Amino acid sequence: MSKLKREEWYDIYRDVNWTPRYVDHEAIFPEWWSGTGKIPLEAWAEWDEPYKVSYSEYVVTQREKEASAFAVKSALKRSTIFDKLDEGWKSVSKEHYGATSLVEYMAVLAELRMARFGLAGAWRHMATFGALDEIRHAQLDLLFAHEFIPKDPQFDWAQKAYHTNEWGVVAARALFDGLMSNPSAVDTAIQLPFTFETGFTNLQFVGLSADAMESGDYNFANMISSVQTDEARHAQQGHPTMQLLMEHDPKRAQWLVDKTFWLSARLFAILTGPGMDYYTPLEHRKQSFKEFMEEWIVNQYARTLKDFGLREPWYWDEFMRGLETWHHSLHLGVWFWRPTVWWKPQAGISKAERAWLNDKYPNWEQQFGPIWDQLIANVNAGRIDKTLPETLPWLCETCNLPIGTAGAPGHAHHPVRAYSMNYGGRMHHFCSKPCRQIWWEDKDTLHQDTIIMRLLTGQIQPPTVPGILGYMGLTPEVMGDDAYGYAWAKEYVTDTLRQVAKEAAAAGSVPAK
Amino acid sequence: MGNPVPINAMFDGDFVTQLVLVEDTDTMPQVAEKVAYHVVGRRLPPRDAPMHVRYEGQRVPDDRTVTSAGIGPLHNVYVGYDAKGQS
Repeated sequence: MSKLKREEWYDIYRDVNWTPRYVDHEAIFPEWWSGTGKIPLEAWAEWDEPYKVSYSEYVVTQREKEASAFAVKSALKRSTIFDKLDEGWKSVSKEHYGATSLVEYMAVLAELRMARFGLAGAWRHMATFGALDEIRHAQLDLLFAHEFIPKDPQFDWAQKAYHTNEWGVVAARALFDGLMSNPSAVDTAIQLPFTFETGFTNLQFVGLSADAMESGDYNFANMISSVQTDEARHAQQGHPTMQLLMEHDPKRAQWLVDKTFWLSARLFAILTGPGMDYYTPLEHRKQSFKEFMEEWIVNQYARTLKDFGLREPWYWDEFMRGLETWHHSLHLGVWFWRPTVWWKPQAGISKAERAWLNDKYPNWEQQFGPIWDQLIANVNAGRIDKTLPETLPWLCETCNLPIGTAGAPGHAHHPVRAYSMNYGGRMHHFCSKPCRQIWWEDKDTLHQDTIIMRLLTGQIQPPTVPGILGYMGLTPEVMGDDAYGYAWAKEYVTDTLRQVAKEAAAAGSVPAK
Repeated sequence: MGNPVPINAMFDGDFVTQLVLVEDTDTMPQVAEKVAYHVVGRRLPPRDAPMHVRYEGQRVPDDRTVTSAGIGPLHNVYVGYDAKGQS
């Protein structure tokens, strides 16, 4: 018997639908899960995925990818590559595993929502593969990180992070709750595949993969490249959904893209920015975070928006200016509050690295140099206690990141300040006008209290630094410290002596030389 | 001893705003001192100059207390060194 050609059976196979006789359509596809809104039900018949794949084809391809990822892992198992990796680079992978592993698992649920409540058979078909993809990603992340736990307990946070209230995890959970856990299938498709995956996963998986190869972490590079091949396929299910939404409700489409892009950009500024511009050893950096964002996010995603008739988000100029400052400010915060993270932040402020930063970011020295100079002076004076926190930065009620980090000291457009609002009998604080606006529109679905509000409402006991660290799940063997034990600061000793003399003069004890 | 008042405090030149606990009976120099404790000598160098407190865009006279200045829980408070010639 001769086989039919794929194009002869594909549409029938993937468009399986039933005409219900015993229950209403609404009972099978409740609006609050399906979210068709102004899109007429009959319009869903037009949904057509750009990437065609059958189940048997999917299985064959995935099997090959798995075999390839595990072949490299197996080949490197007995090598000493891990022991030779730079401590700063190891922090990139620890941060990635902790922040990503169980988000992949949340993405399984988001894909399953579209696979169950999507209103087109073709979409449900595509989303089923998406769910299988995300199971693979969660398993890969967990397994690859697990191998390193005997060498370094911080890798255990691949599994542990999302079961804690660590502040960065709370920030990520807040974003992904809004992106994946509470929206309808249509909103999920616009926020997750169309905006987050099309716009941002390139950054983590392509950009970091390049840095991983350069840094000699072939296992990590191989694993995240394998993940990205799936992302590139299932991200495309956002496109036909966006097409329908633009046709019937462009205002809703624009809002979903605008808010998701902003919140994703804020999170990636801390997830990927410090890794690219501070943790990756200088000689292995391929591009600066800003250059990578411009090439892979700004140019490519802006083209996608234009193709679908969407406008640039209202805050576009502010976002572009943020590429110069956000991640520097967040890096400084992570380093200063380093006991609150599960990796070892590499300061990345040696004189050579500083020259690189000033070359890539012409305002860096003016905005961040004076603060690093004080920190360096404290390190070299043996006052490590003065480089550690005794309180918390105030956190934005939308993105959960420290207020001030959407600006920079002395910034003409975005100075360090809170954007506040009196509502419901108390003050609410935000890092920026866009975060304040998103909160105002979405306040009924935002349910993650910031760590600051948890502290002030008595949820964290005792309300002390050790109490806060305990609440975040950070035990002494995993809490972050400087990646190199402050060795990088030694080359500044002469400058420190000058600084000490200046401070003594300022305090009126001796004249400044 | 007064009642604790948590404020969202910003010290001029710093890169984040922070949670600082002041008391409702604190005068402005005491508020400035409590905010500076978390910034000056840690992330910014000390200066031989007096400090001041700003609230709702206005400089608050030193003899005011947190309560008499109208500063309440969760309010934004700015602290900085006086510029030369300013008092």
